Formats: sequence, C-alpha cells, structure tokens
Amino acid sequence: MTPEMQKIILSKDSERRRLRELPWIEKLEMLDRLRDRHLWIQQTKPIQIANIPVKVP
Amino acid sequence: MRFKGCALDSCNMKETLAIVEKLHKEHIIGSYAVGGAVGAAFYLEPVATLDVDIFVLFEPAPLILTLTPIYEACAKLGYQPLGDAISIEGWPVQFLPATQPLVAEAVNQAESRKSADLTTRVMSAEHLMAIALQTGRAKDHARLVMFIESGIVKMDRLHDILTRHSLLDAWTKFEHRFLKP
Repeated sequence: MTPEMQKIILSKDSERRRLRELPWIEKLEMLDRLRDRHLWIQQTKPIQIANIPVKVP
Repeated sequence: MRFKGCALDSCNMKETLAIVEKLHKEHIIGSYAVGGAVGAAFYLEPVATLDVDIFVLFEPAPLILTLTPIYEACAKLGYQPLGDAISIEGWPVQFLPATQPLVAEAVNQAESRKSADLTTRVMSAEHLMAIALQTGRAKDHARLVMFIESGIVKMDRLHDILTRHSLLDAWTKFEHRFLKP
C-alpha cells in the first residue's frame, strides 16, 4: 500500500469516527440531508455524456 | 448545500420522532423503539435511509392485531398513509409489531434518549446487531461490520443475546465470512 493510499484511508477512518461521535441530535439532522440528497440523485438521473476511460492502478 | 428542486425542510426526523413519542404518551402506541438504519445511526455514522422503522409492543397481545388506531390517530394529526407506512413530517414511518421474541426483548430493553425538546427510545447496539444478523441481508451484514469496526459493542452482552435467541451459529458463520481473513 502506498503512503498516499494509507493517508487517504486514515483520513476516511478519522472522518467516520468524527461522524460516529456527533451528538445524536445532529445525526438526526444529517439523516434529513442524506435522504434529501438520495432522493434528488434518484430524480435527476445523471446521464453519461462522454465515454471517458479511467485507469485504475 | 441546497439541492435544486428538493426542499431541505421537507423532512424533519426530530419532528417525526417527537410525533412518535406523542403517540406513546397519549397511549395510542405502547412501548416502542427505533430500529433499523435510523436506530443504527444513533451509534454509527449516519447513512442514507428512506424510512423509519418503529417497533411497537402490543401488551397484552390482542386477539386480532391491528394498526388502525395508529392510522386513525395520525390522520387526526394530518399525517396520511404512504404505501405501508405513514408519512410523518416528511418521513415514511413503518409501525412494526414487536411480536418476535428478539424484537420484543429489544423494545423492552430499549434506551431512552433525551434532549431539550425531544425524548425518544432506541434499541441497544447489541440488539440492533442481533436483529441484523437474524435478518441476514447484504446491507445487514454491512451494518454488522460497521458496528464491529466502531468498537462500541459490548461483546459479552451481544453474546448473551445471541445465545438466548439461538443465533450463535449464525454469528460464527458471519465471523468466518466477514471478520476473519
């Protein structure tokens, strides 16, 4: 694993920890925003406009 | 961030749970507990979910179990049915009878959460895990892994619950499949 990948994983882990440790009242507000975003994504149905190949290491 | 075409004030979980607590205080529903993804959010990082599962004890067990009184009370408050749920403050709420022994125990042993303007009851992390293990879908397994990774689980309490409800074999299989390399 490269140092860059390790750094990304550590920062994601610390973000998850931060979210877990939020007060439960704030988490309820997050659930509202997450649901709204989920419904918006379903409604807008993004379409592919270019066939762009992506290289994955 | 406000998403165009999507009213951010269209759903309000705090108000939804406040209405559920009001139904309980007015004896429309008995003991209840928040379960499912919303229940898990009290312990883990919140993930997107589209409805709220409220498990309700009916005691004493009626000859014919009906949710009609709940629907009628919600209609009086202006909340209408939405499929097999009731839309309360923008959230589809499923009222689920806690008839199965594990779920009934989870509701009986639910934890009260209080803030300045909201009281609610949520299943314990260990009961949420046992129910997820029993349900056994891919997303339940994913939630179980999240609980384990969080480090908040009281493993002795979980073990007791799994033993009482004959889930130890299922747990062993889950461990081998997802937790051990």
